[in-house]
Amino acid sequence: MKQSLAGDQRTYAELLQATSRLLQPYLSKRLNSASEVDDVLQEILISVHKARHTYDGKRPYKPWVYAIAKFRLHDHLRAHYNDQLHHADDLSEIEEILPEDVTEPVLSYESISIEVEKLPEKQATILRLMHQEGYTAREVAEKIGMSESAVKVAAHRAYKVLRKKLEE
Amino acid sequence: MADIDELIGKLAGEARTVKPAPHPFMLSTKWMAGATAYLLVALAISGTRMDLASKFQELLFALEIVALLAIFISSSLSAALLSYPDLHQKRAIAYAPAGALALLVLVMFFAWRADDPPTPLPVHSIQCSLEITLLSLLPIGWTFYVMRQYASTHQRWAGSIALFFAFSIGALWLRLAENTDSIIHLVQWHYLPLIAFGITGMWLGKKFLKW
Repeated sequence: MKQSLAGDQRTYAELLQATSRLLQPYLSKRLNSASEVDDVLQEILISVHKARHTYDGKRPYKPWVYAIAKFRLHDHLRAHYNDQLHHADDLSEIEEILPEDVTEPVLSYESISIEVEKLPEKQATILRLMHQEGYTAREVAEKIGMSESAVKVAAHRAYKVLRKKLEE
Repeated sequence: MADIDELIGKLAGEARTVKPAPHPFMLSTKWMAGATAYLLVALAISGTRMDLASKFQELLFALEIVALLAIFISSSLSAALLSYPDLHQKRAIAYAPAGALALLVLVMFFAWRADDPPTPLPVHSIQCSLEITLLSLLPIGWTFYVMRQYASTHQRWAGSIALFFAFSIGALWLRLAENTDSIIHLVQWHYLPLIAFGITGMWLGKKFLKW
């Protein structure tokens, strides 16, 4: 790190590579998907870069880098769960509206199926598995290799799109 | 993973010689020196209480000033450590203001027990809290400005301690300048507002120490 602070780009790149290897297992244990791990790791590397002047090379590097990693991970998880909570609120609103809408004669099973097929492939698959084949979100997650929360978020987005289309 | 490699390449490409941040003790010393100068100027303008020399002969008054000085020094050290992501690996020192605060509470408890018959309450009340707040504004701005240049990973805690530090300057000034010895008044209008300061500091820290 001392050499990196002196502007040695090659050493700095090696340090960031080593940091990335160090943090990957730490993040993998705490996050559900590989894409999430990548996102948070990028955030951490940028933070390490921004905060590198606060490390003087005279104390151990790992506690410093883990402090930043933990901080960014918590930031990510806080934002993620806030988002989930927000989606959960939206979902309960939709649940209140849905029974009225689907009992209207203009909405048939076929018309909904057609709209489902127009959705992006992943969302359509999730809805088919959950509503036609009766799988739970957890089972769908296992089946298609996504996290349960990601499945719920994708389903919720699909409901939103469907609701808009069926209201038109 | 390709994204990570690409990012590392980009960050390494931006690497220039960086001046390391000063040691937190150095940072804290600078804050304390600046704050002491500010306190002396404030005292020179407002004047000290007439009986200051004789008051220092009283053990409890002297201990109260020592407790305030302990809050001043410990919160300055703690705020400096909290400006660093890893608290400069000196976490125990960051908790020091809690000990100093406990000392003040203890001193005020003994002062309250010794205040018999109770000293009459002064005519003014909230004016003291407002004066402490006003005097603390400049140190608050300065401390936050400096802390923002580093990378706190405990923003609420850091904000709260930064306000403790600023508050201790205001509290010291008023205690040395004002001719009031009513313990009830001191607790109610000089020291209890510290709680409000702490909570405001958490909010300010979350808002202004983001990076």
